[in-house]
Amino acid sequence: MSQAARAQRIGEWLIRSDCCRLPADVRAERCREWIAELPVILGDQSIRPPFVRTLRVLTFCAGISRATRQLSRATRAGSRPARNPKWQTGARQARPPSVAVRTVVGLVIWLVIVFGVITALRAHPDPHDWPFLLIVALAVSFDAFCLADIARAAQVRYLPKWAWALICLIQSPGGGIMYLSIGHISRPRPVPPGDAKP
Amino acid sequence: MKLTGPLERVLRVMLSDPTAPHYGYDLMKAAKLPSGTLYPMLARLQQEGLVDAEWEAQREDAGGRPPRKYYRLTADGLRVARIELAQASSPVTARVARRGATRPVPGSTQ
Repeated sequence: MSQAARAQRIGEWLIRSDCCRLPADVRAERCREWIAELPVILGDQSIRPPFVRTLRVLTFCAGISRATRQLSRATRAGSRPARNPKWQTGARQARPPSVAVRTVVGLVIWLVIVFGVITALRAHPDPHDWPFLLIVALAVSFDAFCLADIARAAQVRYLPKWAWALICLIQSPGGGIMYLSIGHISRPRPVPPGDAKP
Repeated sequence: MKLTGPLERVLRVMLSDPTAPHYGYDLMKAAKLPSGTLYPMLARLQQEGLVDAEWEAQREDAGGRPPRKYYRLTADGLRVARIELAQASSPVTARVARRGATRPVPGSTQ
């Protein structure tokens, strides 16, 4: 495969995955528009030497990534009430937590972890315990990952969410592995436009 | 609509040939803007009705090239762009003129 064809394919793939961010009604059209630009860039003889064209395609795709983020944010801001009808029933306006709130929550979690590690180290000053502590830390973070995944999942397989959460907590890290292999449903990704063709 | 630097450049490019259709990469190159700036801007302009877009008809001589989307200033857009650019250029020229008047050219005897 020539370099241009490879760049074209990579670019198409990048643009398709970026377009998944866009609302469904404009997704296919945007995707078609941007993919149509790729051959133009690759065929632009004023950009020399040829590998710069490949670079240009990549920067183009990076820009498209930014553009899709911005466009999806703009449409979301326009249609926020429709997005979360469950939260709209009360008088309280549904808002994602602000940066300050998220920073504070993150800091608190971070401090808890740091203090936990410090107390654990104090309780086990013996350096022979350190590998054990490392394993415990890894298991705990894996459990946290699984719990976060359960909490964010729209639905899980075979068991209710709370049951999976319990399994993850009781049997660490085996429960988490079990959840990820059996109970986890990978998020239905929006179908990239243009993939429908056989 | 706030006239930002990139927007001004896009409008200038489009005004330089108001009837000609421009496609995205063309505008990117002429206005020297990254795609991440240009496309959201075009979408905004389109939403405000200043620019309208149409798909190129599939041609036989295109050599298998996919059809492009062309952007063109609407009549409204043309008017707004002219006004905005005129307003944008006048304070700048005024400032330059003022600066030239108040600050002596280095080397000149004053």
